[in-house]
Amino acid sequence: VKAARPTAGALSLRVVAVGFLGVMVALPLCAVVGSVLTGPGGVGAALHALGSRTARAALWLTVWTAVVVALVNAVMGTLTAWVLARYRFFGKAILNAVIDLPFAIPTLVTGLMLVVLYGPQQVIGQVLAAHGLRLLFAPAGIILSLLFVTFPFVVRAVEPVLMDIDVDQEEAATTLGSSPLRTFFQVVLPALRPAVLTATLLTFTRALGEFGSVVVVAGNIPRRTLTAPVYVFGAIESGEPAAASAMSLLLVAVSAGLILAVDRYTRARARAIGVRV
Amino acid sequence: VRGLARGLFASVVLLSVGAGGTGCRAAQAEDTGDTLIVGAYSAPREAFEEAVIPAFRAAWRRQTGRDIVVRASYLGSGAQARAITQGFEADVAVLALDSDLDKLVKASLVAPDWRARTGGTGLMARSLVVIAVRSGNPKGIADWADLGRPGIEVLTPNPRTSGGAMWNLLAVYGAASGDLKSKSAAVARVVDNVIVMDKAARESLVSFERGIGDAAITYEQEVHVARRAGRRYDYVVPPVTAVIDVPMATVDRYADAHGRRAAAEAFVAFLRSRQGQALLRDFGFRPATGPLELPGDARFLAAGHPFTAADFGGWKKIAPELFAPVTGTITRVLEATREDHEASR
Repeated sequence: VKAARPTAGALSLRVVAVGFLGVMVALPLCAVVGSVLTGPGGVGAALHALGSRTARAALWLTVWTAVVVALVNAVMGTLTAWVLARYRFFGKAILNAVIDLPFAIPTLVTGLMLVVLYGPQQVIGQVLAAHGLRLLFAPAGIILSLLFVTFPFVVRAVEPVLMDIDVDQEEAATTLGSSPLRTFFQVVLPALRPAVLTATLLTFTRALGEFGSVVVVAGNIPRRTLTAPVYVFGAIESGEPAAASAMSLLLVAVSAGLILAVDRYTRARARAIGVRV
Repeated sequence: VRGLARGLFASVVLLSVGAGGTGCRAAQAEDTGDTLIVGAYSAPREAFEEAVIPAFRAAWRRQTGRDIVVRASYLGSGAQARAITQGFEADVAVLALDSDLDKLVKASLVAPDWRARTGGTGLMARSLVVIAVRSGNPKGIADWADLGRPGIEVLTPNPRTSGGAMWNLLAVYGAASGDLKSKSAAVARVVDNVIVMDKAARESLVSFERGIGDAAITYEQEVHVARRAGRRYDYVVPPVTAVIDVPMATVDRYADAHGRRAAAEAFVAFLRSRQGQALLRDFGFRPATGPLELPGDARFLAAGHPFTAADFGGWKKIAPELFAPVTGTITRVLEATREDHEASR
């Protein structure tokens, strides 16, 4: 696309798009920032609230579980996308439909499903309990629910890229004596990397903010199983707007920072290999 | 897959029914004639919807010859108080904590003499903080100290989001003997065994009904409601526990603005009447006035020697001292880890 002088139509399209983004996304974000700056006690009170042991523990728990979930889904999502793109098998259409379900199910229902499945009234829960394993009301439960909620991101980002890659390249590599594993890592993966990276990041940021399912399965005990979003909820409900805004802003900042960093990285790489973005 | 889909569908339907119930619910059809809006905390929902509101409508028709539509909204006490101060124009408020009703007074919605106008105490009813246990009480739980035994799993909601949870922890705190330090230690032992802190009292009991935990700290009244719904488990009243006061008041500013003062006052008076109190008792509430013990009623256990919030200076004093963010005595216990507690023992 050549950067010619834009027509009136193209110009108004841009205004609409930017305006929509501004009202729907930027404005609420500004409100959070504003509430921290102008809230009772201002920035000092916000920082003080974040300094509490409960807040720090909640943030740490949220970050590490989100990292685990992002990594697991990066691997499993890519694998699933590969299977979907490269193989035909019985039940593929159903699998394809099931993958999107996590986005369609209210996250609160996700939490309930896990509590029912792993709870003491079901066989699985009883077997686990008999072996002294606790999935619910422990970080494991948080990870399980986050894995479920964020599963589609990587699959749906990687699958179209895989479909686009010419199978000829893989066949050529195999013909030249490359092992399947080597073919994957040296031929396929480099082409997938931007998609996997972006989707993993989305998974992470989504996991960072997940509330509905986590509040049901986590247990919500301060400094044990209380995550940052549930901490925010508690702060709102108990009339501590400074703590709520501060933690919200921190979560937004972590996500925004990561997204910007990865965006820079992918652009730099794209330039390096001569693709205009 | 079809089974899964059916299960999912069922959960979605269940959830939406549950969610629908928390919103404003029209008890009856036609909107002409008299209307009354009630903003309540969540525990009296069954009592109101199934018994109190229908009986009140009948009484109103007898007295005035007119029909009345009563719309009631049920939320956690703190959330309901906030909703009313932020413009949910309820004519009558029924909440779980005095300090939540005081928020309405502070917002100039309820006249400061609300207690005097409602039988001198401002109460709709009372209940007790009790311990729900599995049928037959297999773990032999009888008192708060038993909840602190190793290996006992306890449920109680989060006091940051639930007024009921504040009553629960006040009961543990107040029942412990000794000075502030030994009272805190008693709370700490129980808190260390808590495995889930749900958002609200009702959710906490639902988790218990799902088979989670050995014991749940809850209101006696909630157990009675669950029993009416056919769920079977026992409860014990610890020898010393807290009496829960359920305050109610006409929201004077809104009731006057809507021209519904008469209906609002009639509803409050109805709840305090012999008939209203009997209906509430069917749903597990103890009477607003008079003795707490109900020896003639086999549905209720002996109340023991409970204390009231007033014994600790009332919620005006309890809320900041025990539950203030960071500095509150119980807040500090909650925000310390098991290791911290063990170190301080």
